[in-house]
Amino acid sequence: MIDLAVERRQSPLAVVFLALRTLRNIGLAQLAIIILFVVRGPFGGPLLVVPALLMLALGIVSAVAWWRYTFQLIDDELIVHKGILRDDRLTVPIDRIQSLAVEQELLHRITGLVKVQVDTAGSSDAEFTIDAIPRPVAEELERRAVTARVADAPAGDGVDEPAMSNTERTLVHHDTNRLLTAAVTASPLAGLVVLGPLLAALGQFGDDLPVDPPSVEADGVTWWWAPGAVLVALAFSVLLNLGRVFLQDWDLTLRAGPTSLRRTSGLLSRTSSASSIDRVQLVSTAQNPLQRQAGLRDVEVSTIGDGDLELVGLDDADVDEVRAAVGWGPERHLPLDRRVHPAEIWLATRNTTIVVGIAAGALGLVTGSGWAAVVLVVVPWKWWTTRRHVRNFRWSLTDALARTERVLSSATAQAAIHKANGVVVSQTIFERRRGLASVRLATAAGSIRIGMIPLGEAEAVRDVIVHAAETDRRPWM
Amino acid sequence: MVAFSNDPIPVDQLPRLRDDDFVAVDPRYLRGWLAGLALAAVVAVAVGSVVAAFVDQPLIPAAIAAVVLLGLAVAATLWVMELRRLGYQIREHDLSLRSGVIRHSVETLPFARVQHVNVTRGPVERLLGLATLDVSSAGPDITIPGLSEAEAARIKALVTERAGALEDDPHDDARDDACDDAHGDDPDVADDAS
Repeated sequence: MIDLAVERRQSPLAVVFLALRTLRNIGLAQLAIIILFVVRGPFGGPLLVVPALLMLALGIVSAVAWWRYTFQLIDDELIVHKGILRDDRLTVPIDRIQSLAVEQELLHRITGLVKVQVDTAGSSDAEFTIDAIPRPVAEELERRAVTARVADAPAGDGVDEPAMSNTERTLVHHDTNRLLTAAVTASPLAGLVVLGPLLAALGQFGDDLPVDPPSVEADGVTWWWAPGAVLVALAFSVLLNLGRVFLQDWDLTLRAGPTSLRRTSGLLSRTSSASSIDRVQLVSTAQNPLQRQAGLRDVEVSTIGDGDLELVGLDDADVDEVRAAVGWGPERHLPLDRRVHPAEIWLATRNTTIVVGIAAGALGLVTGSGWAAVVLVVVPWKWWTTRRHVRNFRWSLTDALARTERVLSSATAQAAIHKANGVVVSQTIFERRRGLASVRLATAAGSIRIGMIPLGEAEAVRDVIVHAAETDRRPWM
Repeated sequence: MVAFSNDPIPVDQLPRLRDDDFVAVDPRYLRGWLAGLALAAVVAVAVGSVVAAFVDQPLIPAAIAAVVLLGLAVAATLWVMELRRLGYQIREHDLSLRSGVIRHSVETLPFARVQHVNVTRGPVERLLGLATLDVSSAGPDITIPGLSEAEAARIKALVTERAGALEDDPHDDARDDACDDAHGDDPDVADDAS
């Protein structure tokens, strides 16, 4: 039995993590520049003492920070003392912990320690990290937090035993095959997001690169150059995505306890994040055409605070499991029978025509070439996609507000109306002229908007949602 | 199970948010804005005439001043229209704000979701005896400008009291403490009151 009431320090290894965090806060690109500056700059011989002294200072500061950081659990309050010069005292009632993530990064794995991230409130940034503690301590902390929440739930909520929190049911578990399918069918450009920071870093000290960028000779360009480059980029992106998904979502598992959901995944660094089911505000799914062929979808469970659960590559049965866990029936049971006014097709086409027309005119004037008119193809494309969007858009209002749409990719979103934090009915000039309006249900974690519906209908939806939020006594967070 | 029923309620029997129940904000708010715009117009004319007196082509500063005056006139018109629409409505369980000239909008925020209420008074507002009320939830916020000080304080007290009464969770004061402490930890997170 681990007694959390004793004031504890983290493992001394936390010094390393604290130092690394400080370095990371300075910024990787900036660090690279500093290192380049030190190696190639005026620092030589005796001046090398300066960076050495800085490193020493960093070590000392991190060590003091580690020594001053203690935590203990007294009377169901988690008390954290920290601060190098100041004495900061953080008190968090344990039943107010919204999510508690236990992670194991590479360095943790070697040493058998874990990192705990505690998120306390949605509206504030009240969050702190315990960098390195033994796994049993973290598990005890997690157990206490979950137990506190169960005990906190209204009496007779169907949850009898706090001990039940230990019996978690596996809802989703991805094997290698599924992960491979998920990675390959993910949006073909998704892999390129990895390149973002890389390109930024290159840009930072691109001047230092020794090679001149290869210049493209106009004569060398043949007809297959452009499609070839696109193909190579796509293949590259798919490979990157494969790597990303395998690193991030390896062994993706979603488990449900009586009051909480827990997602674990990761190859090198294992991430575990848990969130209480009551705090789930919004569930959305997305599916691109490739995924449709494979019968897979990406699901995001949005919760108050940082406990959002992102699940890639779920099949229909998985989605039903996740929905059941947050208290909803299968998606096919949603009526999703209401539509929106087609006026949006005209509006979008008109606006696009104006913008693109001006752009084409300007381009034509600048280049003096009739080819500028080519950009006008955007107009029929916009017309076609909006028309498809309007035709396939469905929504419904039951005890949840739900919407689904499909142009090429499809997406759905659903929120329980009693969790509404606010409702807005709005009318643009265009909508007003046609007696139309938009209604937006805002939760504490994202919102759902239905546009281009009759004003009377929007107001009725608002009245139903507000009534539910004010009379339904089920917990909303 | 918690006693919870979910019988369908015909929509036409639900309490409606009626358009004529909105309360306008203090007229001093509009007057203040108009006075500000008038002041800007005077400054524009003054600067325009001074510059025109000293340059070779007096038409250019005159034209610029005219454009500025036109802009101010449009702004004044929009403000008059905006203030004609701007209004709030307090019901038993929620607070609504009607606003917007170009884009009409009616926001509604149930008291049970209110996280905190703030009254702010800028220097000009102090001069006019006005205040701005900020009502925040975990999701959207509602900001009502141009209330008289007494009115703002009254609504703030009402909302706080209603939000407290509707909260059936006995631990709620504990949560506020946690937030305060956590805020205190981070000097970068400025208090919303600023």
